[in-house]
Amino acid sequence: MDFSLIHNLAIGFGTAMSLQNLFYCFMGVLLGTLIGVLPGIGPLATIAMLLPVTFSLPPVSALIMLAGIYYGAQYGGSTTSILVNLPGEAASVITCIDGYQMARQGRAGPALAISAMGSFFAGCVATVIIALFAPPLAEVALKFGPAEYFALMVLGLVGATVLAHGSLIKAIAMTILGLLLGLVGTDVNSGMARYTFGLSELSDGIGFVIVAMGIFGLAEIISNLEQGESASEVFVNKVTGLMPTWKDLKSSSGAILRGTAIGSALGILPGGGALLSSFAAYTLEKKIGDPSGFGKGEIRGVAAPESANNAGAQTSFIPLLTLGIPSNPVMALMIGAMMIQGIAPGPQVMTERPQLFWGMIVSMWIGNLMLVILNLPMIGMWVKLLTVPYRILYPAILLFCAVGVYSLSNQPFDVMLMALFGLFGWVWRKMECEPAPMILGFILGPLMEENLRRAMLLSRGDPSVFATKPICAVLLGISIVLLLITLAPAVRKTREEAFVEE
Amino acid sequence: MKRLIVFALVLAMAPLLACAQTYPSKPIRLVVPYPSGGPLDITARSIGQKLTETWHQPVVVDNRPGAGGNIGADFVAKSPADGYTLLMGAVATHAINPVLYGKVPYDPIKDFAPVALVAQVPNILVVNPSLPVKSVKELIEFARAKPGALNFGSGSTGSTGHLAGELFKTMAHVEMVHIPYKGAAAAMADLLAGQVQLMFDNLASALPNVKAGKLRALAVTTLRRSPALPDLPTIAEAGLPGFDLSTWFGIMLPAGTAPDIVARLNAEIVRALNAKDMRERLENMGTEPPPENTPEKFSAFIRSEAAKYAKVVKDSGAKVE
Repeated sequence: MDFSLIHNLAIGFGTAMSLQNLFYCFMGVLLGTLIGVLPGIGPLATIAMLLPVTFSLPPVSALIMLAGIYYGAQYGGSTTSILVNLPGEAASVITCIDGYQMARQGRAGPALAISAMGSFFAGCVATVIIALFAPPLAEVALKFGPAEYFALMVLGLVGATVLAHGSLIKAIAMTILGLLLGLVGTDVNSGMARYTFGLSELSDGIGFVIVAMGIFGLAEIISNLEQGESASEVFVNKVTGLMPTWKDLKSSSGAILRGTAIGSALGILPGGGALLSSFAAYTLEKKIGDPSGFGKGEIRGVAAPESANNAGAQTSFIPLLTLGIPSNPVMALMIGAMMIQGIAPGPQVMTERPQLFWGMIVSMWIGNLMLVILNLPMIGMWVKLLTVPYRILYPAILLFCAVGVYSLSNQPFDVMLMALFGLFGWVWRKMECEPAPMILGFILGPLMEENLRRAMLLSRGDPSVFATKPICAVLLGISIVLLLITLAPAVRKTREEAFVEE
Repeated sequence: MKRLIVFALVLAMAPLLACAQTYPSKPIRLVVPYPSGGPLDITARSIGQKLTETWHQPVVVDNRPGAGGNIGADFVAKSPADGYTLLMGAVATHAINPVLYGKVPYDPIKDFAPVALVAQVPNILVVNPSLPVKSVKELIEFARAKPGALNFGSGSTGSTGHLAGELFKTMAHVEMVHIPYKGAAAAMADLLAGQVQLMFDNLASALPNVKAGKLRALAVTTLRRSPALPDLPTIAEAGLPGFDLSTWFGIMLPAGTAPDIVARLNAEIVRALNAKDMRERLENMGTEPPPENTPEKFSAFIRSEAAKYAKVVKDSGAKVE
């Protein structure tokens, strides 16, 4: 096994290090970073636009470039999350929470740097995992049936309340609101259109990007404008060093390791695993150690989710490369690109086309290296961007958001919906209700419902299946324990208050 | 003064001459009513590229996903019939959805001028190897012995994968439970894991796993065998005569487009489909360029498919509101 691994890596290096493939790798990661930075326009739209270009490229080069765009976008996405509170994708939402607060405190540089370093570490580790364990991991992933996914989502939702650092009741309320918003659309199991008000634009549900752009980005702009001139001064005056301090590095190292582990594990699961990785990493980080700084600019709250989402992005290639199953829409596009080239993605890609498989894996590592070299020096440039007067910055942000959202489906309706959510987001801010639990409910709710009903369909209506399947039972058990731990202090406090009043 | 007026009138008429004679004289929009990356989208992009090369006018693919394809189809139905907005219509938009949804905002027959069928892709009946059946006949016997025990997965309610299963149930008089998923890939994942036992999947997507031995292929759903798997029987041959179902898609224009534009487009598309690289792409999908591809034949085909699916969807009881 060891000898063949070296042999395979040799094939991989031979393929990936050719001048042509290095060039395409670089183009891919550069494009990916730029796309990730631009709010709204994501890797999905870019890869779709570049698909015809790949017709004429040799298959390995095409896939290397497209893969570079995908994980490059993860690097770039954290930039806007930290600088302007705009998450480009589901994975970057969590980075907004602490990353943006760090930027407001003048620590955008260290936030960006730790994000890049954590992402690099996670990317390397994940690549090694793919190289060594891809086929057995794919088999493990297959053990996750609907019941197990449901249990995982429940665990994720219970963790949602941990995401909030304010009132618990409001966090639960926002989570439920997110669940309700996630209901909009056509139900998979019955074909019924729910909450669509007869509009066919809503029949596929509300897009995540629209909600995220509105609630995080637009609401932030509205609220900054409301505060007037004083808001923008915060950024300009308080920019301290660009690089993280030793203290930062020490406290983040554990976070990075844990984030990488969680992201690698969850990324393998086709069907929504990678989405959870940044949420789960943040939750874990908050539970371990001192939770007081979270939400106010705690660097571990940036390091962990960033490592997790990069690890998840890399390992989500595993179901694609080993089973031919895409874990998310971007992977589905990669399958399209492979099929254009006449490569049928599936189990035999590894054996029939070793240059493709191993070339891609090695180029992922090279791509990560290129990305960290690209991104670290650019931090100075990004931080300077914050010094642009806000009255010029915010129309630019608005423009990019609008263009990005429009580019999703070429429908003006989407842009108007984003504006509506911007308004809601601002109102919720005023009410001190946090958006992160809502987003989590919004993403997890539909997945949870779909898997619950499918599990019940498969068991012909027998609910005991949730207790009898081992993985499912374990996950549900952990959820219950976590729920009790979270609620216990609140219960104790009210009881103490009641006693005091007596 | 009179000369000036005549000159001005002639100038004003020049654009009309340009339109009539040199189609296409500006970029063409090819609307794909599905998200990017699927086989329909990829084929549309390939054809678009070929048309661009021949006509030196860009053919731009415009993805307008949503509502099972209805949004994109409606957009083209209401576009001007000048030959510059094409639709890659499919079995879903023109045969299934009108019955499945009860009503759609366009008329699939009256609002469109069919140009050319692009591909008719078979679905393939695949089972998880743990299921002890090796042929369609054995599957029917197994299903009859254990009614309601088998699960079949599909990419969505009303997809050809779902309706193939329903047609199979009706024609073979067996009971199976339909498990819908969000996309064929998710269904395939559960099929490989054994959560569902069989699936009528797209041939191109299922083929790699069949070749690797992770799935067992029993038959194809079309009346003719697929060139990709010439040894695999059709369901019609293997036990249910008359079973015919395929996923097809083709280019259409809004109704009322000038017949010579339709004819020009048809000729060019047929030429593109028979080019060597397009043939190869179609073969990778498990099919070949449709023979005798005329607008009239395509139009008749759409009508017959609409009638067929009206019955299949009604019998299955599937509905999307």
